[in-house]
Amino acid sequence: MEKKKKRSNILGFITIANGSIDMWFCILVIILLGIGLVMMFSASYASAMDKFGKPLYYFKRQAGFAAAGLAAMFLMSKIHYKTLRRFSKIALFVSIVLLIVVLFYYVKIPEKEEFKRWMKIPGTSITFQPSEIAKLGLIWFLAWSLEYKQYQIRQKDWRLLIVYCALIAFMSGLVYMENHLSGAILIFAIGITMTYMGGFKKRWYIIGAVIIAAVAVIAVVEREHLPDRIEARINGWLDPDYDPINARWQINQSLRAIGSGGLFGTGLGQSKQKHLYLPEPQNDFIFAIVCEELGFIGAMVIMLLFVALVWRGFVIALNSDNKFAGLMVAGIMFQIGFQTALNICVVTGVMPNTGISLPFFSYGGTSLLMILAEMGMVLSVSRSSKINKNNLL
Amino acid sequence: MAKKTMKQDYVQRMLSVVLILVFVCFGAAAGGLSWVQLVQGEKYRALAERGQLNDTVITAPRGVIYDRNMKKLAESASVWKVNINPNKIGSDEEVLKKLVEKLAPILDISEETIRNKAKYTNQSSLTLKTKVELNMKNELSAILGEKLFEDDKSKKMVYGSYIDIEPDTKRYYPYSDFASSVLGFVGTDNVGLYGIELEYNSDLEGIPGRKIVATDGRTNSTPIGDYESFYDAKQGTNLVLTIDEVIQRYVEKSVKQAYIDEKAKAACGILMDVNTGAVLGMASFQNYDLNDPQTVANKEEAERISEITDKDEHTKALKAARENQWTNRTVSDMYEPGSVLKVITASAALEEKVVSLDTTYTCTGSIKVKDRNISCHKHEGHGTQNFTKGLMNSCNPFFITVGQRLGSEKFFEYFEAFGFTERTGIDLPSEAKPSAGNTYHPLSEFGIVELSSTAFGQSVNVSPIQVVTALSAVANGGKLMRPYIVDKKVDSNNNVISVTKPVVRRQVISESTAKTVTGMMEQVVSNGTGKNGYVVGYRVAGKTGTSEKLGQPGKYVASFGCFAPADNPRVALLVTIDEPSAGRTSGGTIAAPVCAEILDNVMPYLNVEPQYTEKELASLYTSVPGVVGESIETARSTLSKAGFNVEILGKGKTVLRQIPAKNQSISKDGVVVLYTDDNQSNQTTVVPDLVGLSISQANKIAVAAGLNIKISGNSLKSSELLSFKQSLQAGSTVEYGQTVTVYFRSNHDVSDYG
Repeated sequence: MEKKKKRSNILGFITIANGSIDMWFCILVIILLGIGLVMMFSASYASAMDKFGKPLYYFKRQAGFAAAGLAAMFLMSKIHYKTLRRFSKIALFVSIVLLIVVLFYYVKIPEKEEFKRWMKIPGTSITFQPSEIAKLGLIWFLAWSLEYKQYQIRQKDWRLLIVYCALIAFMSGLVYMENHLSGAILIFAIGITMTYMGGFKKRWYIIGAVIIAAVAVIAVVEREHLPDRIEARINGWLDPDYDPINARWQINQSLRAIGSGGLFGTGLGQSKQKHLYLPEPQNDFIFAIVCEELGFIGAMVIMLLFVALVWRGFVIALNSDNKFAGLMVAGIMFQIGFQTALNICVVTGVMPNTGISLPFFSYGGTSLLMILAEMGMVLSVSRSSKINKNNLL
Repeated sequence: MAKKTMKQDYVQRMLSVVLILVFVCFGAAAGGLSWVQLVQGEKYRALAERGQLNDTVITAPRGVIYDRNMKKLAESASVWKVNINPNKIGSDEEVLKKLVEKLAPILDISEETIRNKAKYTNQSSLTLKTKVELNMKNELSAILGEKLFEDDKSKKMVYGSYIDIEPDTKRYYPYSDFASSVLGFVGTDNVGLYGIELEYNSDLEGIPGRKIVATDGRTNSTPIGDYESFYDAKQGTNLVLTIDEVIQRYVEKSVKQAYIDEKAKAACGILMDVNTGAVLGMASFQNYDLNDPQTVANKEEAERISEITDKDEHTKALKAARENQWTNRTVSDMYEPGSVLKVITASAALEEKVVSLDTTYTCTGSIKVKDRNISCHKHEGHGTQNFTKGLMNSCNPFFITVGQRLGSEKFFEYFEAFGFTERTGIDLPSEAKPSAGNTYHPLSEFGIVELSSTAFGQSVNVSPIQVVTALSAVANGGKLMRPYIVDKKVDSNNNVISVTKPVVRRQVISESTAKTVTGMMEQVVSNGTGKNGYVVGYRVAGKTGTSEKLGQPGKYVASFGCFAPADNPRVALLVTIDEPSAGRTSGGTIAAPVCAEILDNVMPYLNVEPQYTEKELASLYTSVPGVVGESIETARSTLSKAGFNVEILGKGKTVLRQIPAKNQSISKDGVVVLYTDDNQSNQTTVVPDLVGLSISQANKIAVAAGLNIKISGNSLKSSELLSFKQSLQAGSTVEYGQTVTVYFRSNHDVSDYG
């Protein structure tokens, strides 16, 4: 094995992954990306026209990043996970540095001045969210660390778990300081799920779940102690008529859009709610426009595509010959799946509005680039996976 | 742990994560989606549509009001409404500044106005200006596509995204103050406020249309999708009035002149078709400009009000003056009719046969009723007179006894039958409502004193429309009609929708009684107090009225009610002059000549052939034979033989032109000017002052000045006549041979104060 791999070592430290990629997974990614791009264009052109006078404004940018993202995906798929493993500590370090830096050197976005989520890549006009990088960084590091400590986990169960939890809470806390609750929740959920898959005793998770549920209930009941913005969102979520600061405007318009779609939808491009009713239809609430134009059937098909993607990702993880690779792929797929489900829950009013984007669909170039790079990492693992790559299960 | 290998445990954990993810998280998402989209979908769709649909009301064009000959008296024209969108401007000071600078001069409104409206940033449409006419609208449309910031490439906003032009209508009255009290006007919302506009508002206003478009969420103006439904506005029904524009002008001209000359508080005139009850002319002064109803039309009054410094007083005075000019006094006001009511007393007495034409009465100047003495307007008394003569003299004691012969019940029966205790039902708003105890004595309180005073028209209030309707009943053989003013309703293509059918309310007296009373009334005009109502060529039956206002000594209402021709009545006419203050107060003196002037104009217009009595024919009038084309000699002998004076101008051999023209009726010794030369310029003459003269004096002076005279008013041979008015102004220069109408009236035995 070692000798074979050596041949693929080009630059000395980068090992090239050989073998064929998992076509099922790759096709699902491309289908979702294609549908996402089309829907992003459909959802965004009215607001792009209103804001910039150019209906293609958002689409052109997104398409550019999608192209770059596809290139990144295939590039990543050629890098062997062994090489990735070597960068896991650096990934975490970079993530944490960026999370700290962004608190001081954030970019103000008009009408969203209170958020400290965005940073500018020096010398360009491209902005990105360090929390997007941090999600991957955490997955990356935990995958390595949990593999590395897999035997200690059994011995020093709760002490190690506390260390991991401290790390996760630290990163999550940094993201929360960006005024980014949903990002913090996502990081927390991803991290904890990773440790679970790492093999800690199940009882901690049961206790943890109970505590989190209790905290959630208390947060909802005692919401006046939370920041006003969050409190208003919870209030709006619980009581559709409570809307002192127009906090429900977006969710109400979203529900109207979904309701307008019915079973079969109004047809591609035919949404009315995107015409300046639903604010920023290209962002977090893009799925509402998808529902309006493609109907319940179209929306369910897209949800099933996501489920299929997640499922296939886990199949790849389970069949990988390496625990680091498996944990990394599972972490990435959990992130994609969890984010998707959460986004749809928000859009349909099941959960309060938190600001979670929909992978492959929501506007955001660097975010899309990140997701596609992650998909590349999954594909890289699939190259050395034992699965039958022509069989979905 | 021991039971499972590490590998098994790892697989199991991964599977549990993916299963929880799929079933719990995606399950929740799918559940939420199903609930919102399938279960609650219809509700949200309805909400969405309600939010998206922009419903614009399209004003229906208001119906046209025509006179009976389809002349437009009121019509609606397209105007526009300009709205601003404060929501879109928001707090953008730069945008607001640009808008204000551009719009204020175009719309001719203050910058303040725009800024104030723009404050309401939660509104997406506020009206900046209404009734914008075509020119202004075009000027505004031209800039809608312009960018606010020409040089700034990043800002692409155009004026059109903040401004919206909406169609609207505006009411126009082509003849301004013509028939103002009849037509009324509309408010800024195009709803009728007075007159026909109010009474027939629901017919005139039509059905507004709607335009429902799905629009975007911000501007509420950019259409989205293909949803658009359009309901056409349905134009209001057009009305054809019974009013005749020509007759109305005659009535207005004469009543207005009396209103001015007599310095009256108000003056009214109603001319009615006696056979149908159709109102042909209706005037109420002060009138006002329908296109500008808020302005006080009476200049003196307006000046007086403008001088009031106290704000409340000023507002009050302005309000009163406006209401005063807007009121249609012919239907809304009540007055004491005075002696005109004697016609009713006479009709009732003759019908009940309590008197006959041969009944005589000796007037001593007063009569004792119960505990009081009621004096006649002629203090020395009228002496012994028969019934006709009594009406001619308007003898109060005579009519008191006639009333008493009838008795309270019988009199009241006729008073009621002639319609004085009810509204006439004319299709005009705010008709005065008679009320027992206020405007008339109810039967229960109708004692001898009340009976006696009502019998000659005192202590009772009636409206002009009631009086003219009652007079029409006498004229048409006893049928009390329902007066009306809208003849037809027609649609926009002038297809008739409905025609008003004349309604006979009841037969109040027999035809023969009506004839008898008509005869008596004719005598009133020929030789009695109504002699100033005489019109040459037409037999006029009339009755004067003069009443002092109860409790207001020195304040009178002078009136004259008449109908013509007496042998086959066509029209009834009532003129009332409220509080004349130029010295003359008797109806026979100031109201009768107004009626004569109106009838003199209206009767020929109605194609009623004049029937000159032999006396009339012999005295003055003859028509001029045509002599154009004949030689001078022939022309001269023809004209001389007919008694005309001949004036020849020019050196030609034949007559090229003659003044007056062929068939014009002039006095027999009038002047006919013959032009024989093309180069001969028109000979002019200065009009002499013909006021205050007898007929023969006026005739002589007029002829001497080379003018023909036309005599108007009263019977011809009366030596007591004096001229009081002339149609051509004294001192003005006119063409030789022109006809000047000179108005005569008698000042003897025409008063009838009660």
